[in-house]
Amino acid sequence: MTASRTVNRGVKIAGLLALLALALAFPSLAPDPFILSVGVVIMSYAVLATSWNFVGGFTGYISLGHAAYSGLGGYATALLILDAGLNPWVAMFLGAAVVAVLAVPIGIASLRVRGASFVIVSIALVLIMLLVFQSWGSFTGGSNGLRVPRPFGPDVLRPEQHERFFYLHVALLAVALFVWWAIDRSRFGIGLKAIREDEDKAEALGVPTFSYKLVVFVVSAFFTALGGGLYALWFGFLDPIFQFSILVGSYMVLMSLLGGIRSLFGPLLGAVIVGYALEFFKAQYGDTQFHLVALGLLLALVVLFMPDGIIPAVGQLFARFRPQAASIREQTQAELAAQRRGEAAEAEPDDAMAVSGEEARR
Amino acid sequence: MSGSLILQSVVLGVLLGGLYALLAAGLTLYFGVMRVVMIAHSAFLILAAYLAWYFTSQTGLDPLFSLIITVPLFFIAGVLMQRLLISRLRPATLTMMSVLLTFSIALIIEGMLGFVFTGTQRRIRLPYSGTSFEIFGANVAVVKLIAFVLAAASLLALYLIMKRTRFGQALRATIQHPEAARLVGVNTDRVAGYGFGLGLATAAVGGTALALDSTIYPSLHWHWIGPLMAIIVVGGLGSIPGAAIAAMVLGIGQALLQLPLGTTWAQTVFYVALFATLMLRPQGFIGGRLAQRF
Repeated sequence: MTASRTVNRGVKIAGLLALLALALAFPSLAPDPFILSVGVVIMSYAVLATSWNFVGGFTGYISLGHAAYSGLGGYATALLILDAGLNPWVAMFLGAAVVAVLAVPIGIASLRVRGASFVIVSIALVLIMLLVFQSWGSFTGGSNGLRVPRPFGPDVLRPEQHERFFYLHVALLAVALFVWWAIDRSRFGIGLKAIREDEDKAEALGVPTFSYKLVVFVVSAFFTALGGGLYALWFGFLDPIFQFSILVGSYMVLMSLLGGIRSLFGPLLGAVIVGYALEFFKAQYGDTQFHLVALGLLLALVVLFMPDGIIPAVGQLFARFRPQAASIREQTQAELAAQRRGEAAEAEPDDAMAVSGEEARR
Repeated sequence: MSGSLILQSVVLGVLLGGLYALLAAGLTLYFGVMRVVMIAHSAFLILAAYLAWYFTSQTGLDPLFSLIITVPLFFIAGVLMQRLLISRLRPATLTMMSVLLTFSIALIIEGMLGFVFTGTQRRIRLPYSGTSFEIFGANVAVVKLIAFVLAAASLLALYLIMKRTRFGQALRATIQHPEAARLVGVNTDRVAGYGFGLGLATAAVGGTALALDSTIYPSLHWHWIGPLMAIIVVGGLGSIPGAAIAAMVLGIGQALLQLPLGTTWAQTVFYVALFATLMLRPQGFIGGRLAQRF
């Protein structure tokens, strides 16, 4: 048992290092600056999807309006540079902090009641932000958009810019993934997952459901805003139509759901697949209406046939070839009782050890 | 601000509120029977408006006649949608996943509308488009009045179906307590399907009413879904009278706020009301027995 676990851990670390090496080597492997810029876009999607997954993955609350936080993060960064004259990186973090503070009342309003109102508020938020940022021209640049000053001087050329921002996005993604992983292993994370599985029972067992949801919601908004701010610094231009777009929010949902919202790397995998597909579509066919139809169909197929995502599906495929794992959730109470009777009859200490070992690992 | 201007706004608000009330009643029906937040409702609304426009431009008949086709069509589409798609979702995650499913349906409809009819703005030209008359100094366009009468008549029909027929009784029982309804012999699956059909039929009527006096384009549905969502939350999720009253109040509020703020900022009244409701009374102001747990 312990030997196989060390092997398992070794495989995990090796996989992690391979993933990191692949990410770091990508800029030198990319044949031209365009491919590199696609890489930056995909990494930006990965940051946003992972940030979304703090709420979606842990609590099961699906937000369709996270574009509001990425857009606000971008605008806050730009406005702090332009109006307050701050250093771009300070502006990015300060902007994200401002968005996190704004997320507190929004979270209080939308998390007091269950799912349906949360979704409604998340959609309403994007629509209201679009309205405000388009109409309030004197402050936000309105429909004409807002030019964001570049953080690196004019002597840094385009490909160099792409490369630097690629690494910056990878770094931000790594931090977000680390925080997700840390929460996943903590008591806080267990409480959140209890909310996802059954909020009433979690509350009855003493999980402070409302404050847990609120905290993780604010963390999610903070990382989403950082992602939005970093993207704004790279792209250099903000247009309310694209910043506060329901579509961007639904990309985050689709990516996370496709990869698997319960897995650490699910949103990243989804972002690579969907992000690549989106860029491919754009390059091949331009911005047509089929874009929407394809997105809608893909989302519907994922929701109907693969709501758990790719990673769990592949994991189950592999689990078939492994020795039978003891999973409590997949057994009915009757089966469990029968199994316990069988165990009591045989009274083999080895089996009991194996079962508890499996449980501890989960 | 003169009195006649305010009166004019109130009249416009009532006329608009009628349409909001009908559409919000449809949304409430879906939520009542299945606990589903139907994002695609306003996309179907625009689809119906496009069908009415296409009908008129092809046959030259009045768009109101298109109702003969669209209402049964949408009813069947609603039943099929509930039976084939929504009922396949796992009960445990139904609310969240149904949001995503109906959202994807909305995207597909918007994309197909843009593909078939292009993104060009469309408008129906009618012989009576420009005519209007005066009541107490308020100017009322005939098309707006027709749209209101259509919405009010449909709402009345919906009320009568719900209160006076056996099917309506079964539907209300399903909304109130599905298990108990099943115990007394209601086929709740079938009733839920018909409830969905009725909800979508309201979108067909609303779309025709909308096509009478508005310019339509494929992405218009995003401008409708926000206010409608706000209305059903303010009215209390699952309560049809609540939704109707909230629709009227907010419709009049929007029309009145247009005077000092202009059309764009007046739309924020819905979102302000939404946030205020969730802060002060999350279960909604009027109905809302269901809403406490959602």
